[in-house]
Amino acid sequence: MNVLYLLIPLALLLLGLAVWAFFWAVGSGQFDDLDTPAMRVLMDDDEKPPPSDDDD
Amino acid sequence: MTGSACFHCALPVDRPDEFQVEIDGEIRSVCCPGCKAVAELIRDTGMAGYYAMREAPQPGAGRPADDAAEWQIYNSAEMLAAFAESDGATSEATLYAGGMYCAACGWLIETTLSKLNGVKSADVNPVTHRVRVRWQPEGLGLGDILAALADLGYDPQPLAPESSARPEVLEQRSALKRLLVASLGMMQVMMFAIGLYAGDFQGMEENMQRFLRWVSFAVTTPVVLYSARPFFAGAWRGLMTRTPGMDLPVSVAIGAAYAGSVYATLTHGPAVWYDSVVMFVFFLTLGRFLEMRARHRSIDRSTALSTLLPTTVTRLEDGVEVTIPVSQVAAGDVVVVRPGEPIPADGALIDGDTSVDEALLTGESRPRTRRVGDSLVAGSVNLDGKIRMCVETTGSDTTLGTISRLSERARYARPAFVQLADRIASYIVIAILVIAATVASAWTFIDADRAFVVTLSVLVVTCPCALALATPAAFAAAGSRLAEMRLLVTNGNAIEALARATRMLFDKTGTVTRGAPVIERVDILDGAWDETSCRNLAAALETVSTHPLARAFEIEDIPFSATDQRVAIGQGVAGTIDGRRWRLGKSEFAGARPGGRPDLNRPPGRAPAGIYLGVDGRAVARFVVVDELREHSLDTFRLLQKLGLRTALISGDREEPVHELAGQLGVNDYFAECSPEDKLDVIRKAQAGGDIVVMVGDGINDAPVLAGADASIAPAHGATLAQTSADIILVGEILSPIVAGLTTARKTMRIVRQNLAWAIVYNAAAVPLAVLGYVPPWAAAIGMSASSLIVVLNSLRIGRKDPS
Repeated sequence: MNVLYLLIPLALLLLGLAVWAFFWAVGSGQFDDLDTPAMRVLMDDDEKPPPSDDDD
Repeated sequence: MTGSACFHCALPVDRPDEFQVEIDGEIRSVCCPGCKAVAELIRDTGMAGYYAMREAPQPGAGRPADDAAEWQIYNSAEMLAAFAESDGATSEATLYAGGMYCAACGWLIETTLSKLNGVKSADVNPVTHRVRVRWQPEGLGLGDILAALADLGYDPQPLAPESSARPEVLEQRSALKRLLVASLGMMQVMMFAIGLYAGDFQGMEENMQRFLRWVSFAVTTPVVLYSARPFFAGAWRGLMTRTPGMDLPVSVAIGAAYAGSVYATLTHGPAVWYDSVVMFVFFLTLGRFLEMRARHRSIDRSTALSTLLPTTVTRLEDGVEVTIPVSQVAAGDVVVVRPGEPIPADGALIDGDTSVDEALLTGESRPRTRRVGDSLVAGSVNLDGKIRMCVETTGSDTTLGTISRLSERARYARPAFVQLADRIASYIVIAILVIAATVASAWTFIDADRAFVVTLSVLVVTCPCALALATPAAFAAAGSRLAEMRLLVTNGNAIEALARATRMLFDKTGTVTRGAPVIERVDILDGAWDETSCRNLAAALETVSTHPLARAFEIEDIPFSATDQRVAIGQGVAGTIDGRRWRLGKSEFAGARPGGRPDLNRPPGRAPAGIYLGVDGRAVARFVVVDELREHSLDTFRLLQKLGLRTALISGDREEPVHELAGQLGVNDYFAECSPEDKLDVIRKAQAGGDIVVMVGDGINDAPVLAGADASIAPAHGATLAQTSADIILVGEILSPIVAGLTTARKTMRIVRQNLAWAIVYNAAAVPLAVLGYVPPWAAAIGMSASSLIVVLNSLRIGRKDPS
């Protein structure tokens, strides 16, 4: 069980890193808009040709 | 209704075959040439996906504005300097795009702007309706970008550069950080706590136990000092102002549990409570975060105030008209206001007679006549003449600014609703700590060996999260359910007030009625003319008028054109058509005999606004113009009364129309000719009589009134300021969601009470058993988790649709 004395501090270190990374992301404005990104994945970035072209 | 609604803007379509667009191989009907153009633009740029992605449109949204040419004035260098931050070759500006209602709109704007030549990036935030554009100003003016937005059917406005990030963005950022620290901290500490509990059963090296306690301490400390800081700050503010809120017991509970744990860690005491501390902080922080998000959904106050004012003003400098941003107008300036433009600042009229529409400020639906020397109020609309005014006060010192401050004050002065659940939860935390300490010392005398295990069970079994969860979970579920019904809740307290409401007051103009007059019928007074030609003649005459009633006469393709049109202030409009002088307006003005002839067809008690059309001093026709009721208004009032509410109409309008409408709707009471103070007074009196009052209204004159009521609902089409002070925003054109919202609110409160009752019963049953030593820690842990789960699942029932 002595390995815990090493693993737990290691886990805390990773936790600290995660918190730091998240703080950086929040600070750089990546979480300012929590609504659009959920929609964006559904949006087609490719432009569809106007449908009228197919009919002509 | 969908069959006859415009595909683009969702307004009703009169003739479905008149304007059509082909999108994705299907023929769609639209309501007007403007919507046709926008829909074609969206299709031809390959963005028809917008229609599939957007949420159900609110009628009228995205309808294009008529005058795109006005954006050209923003192309000048001064405008660029005033509204954009330039950095060498690139400029950056923040624009406000009114009429945006979902994320698909954001996508449409981003994609369209990015295609403009010279635009480097466009970021849209659909929640705040802001667009941040970076572009190269040579070749592409600010006006071109605004025009592109206007072409898409949005209502754009440049915003003055903001020196620092907006407060609500900063608030959200710090709230997110606090939430993350609390949640990560909770996960870690719970893990260590499981280790500690397991150690209690199986035995554990003393060193390992101390080590786990110390790491728990290390993780809990930032949670308490960072995530829970707002609670401590709130408690301290409460103490300083001698109005202790719920933050105080919360802080005491967190502080005591933390201090007790630290003491136990240092002195190797029997138990630590780090897990209870982090869990409590996490659930409270989560609740606050959800509340904050709901609050931010309403548009911020400063934008609301500025959208009522023009962005540019024409100032007279040595007799020359110069266009400047409104922010540069100072007291003493002489500015020119053209018909149809809003008054930019408070001041005095120095040249020209006009009438103004002050409906937003006073609720008076008729225009007021203003002559030289009279005062003008910022935010009202100049209707008839081109005028010059001397500016006296600007910005937040104006009447408009004062009203918005008044509403803020009323909001702070509102009776604070007791957040029962949170308060009980925090008292219970204190109670737990006291009980646990008592149990620990009592059992030391009874059976010292079992003292620790019993104390542990007491602590675990009474985990306050069922209580802390009861309200936030139910309110979160209610919030999303209400949003589905198109009611956006910006203040959680409103749900409680709505559920308990006994009286509902409705503003008249624009809330119960459409706020847009229509011609109800045409009485022909001279047989030589028919109805169609009378309507056409009236429409031709009214083309110059910006009077609110003129909107009733608007038609497409007027066959006549009037020349030499004159607007007689407060009287009517005159013009020459085919060589004859026509007049439209008050009876005497149009040539009807003084007093008019008695109208035998008129139903008793009805006083419609009669507008006369006359030629060569003889009246030809009378138009009966009424402000139509919104759809389902009658049903809404009937259902509200069935639910046991007293309803009332309250309006700044004259006695006659209010009385008539009150009779039509069958409301219990009505109040006419009310100033904002009178309205607030009506509410205060009702509240003093023990009523819980819900106010439904729009228009900024209602803002203090809305804030003074126990709960307020503002239709989203109203003045934007009213929305920001309203607790609930009603999206759309019909009032009936209020009824559904009321039943949902009642259901929510019922479920909150069930949750609280369950949590209390559970604790009342479990604690004595645990104190007496009948509950082993593992059973306590299962009981606690099950109890939390029951509360959450019960709350989710709110989101389910009623079978009825």
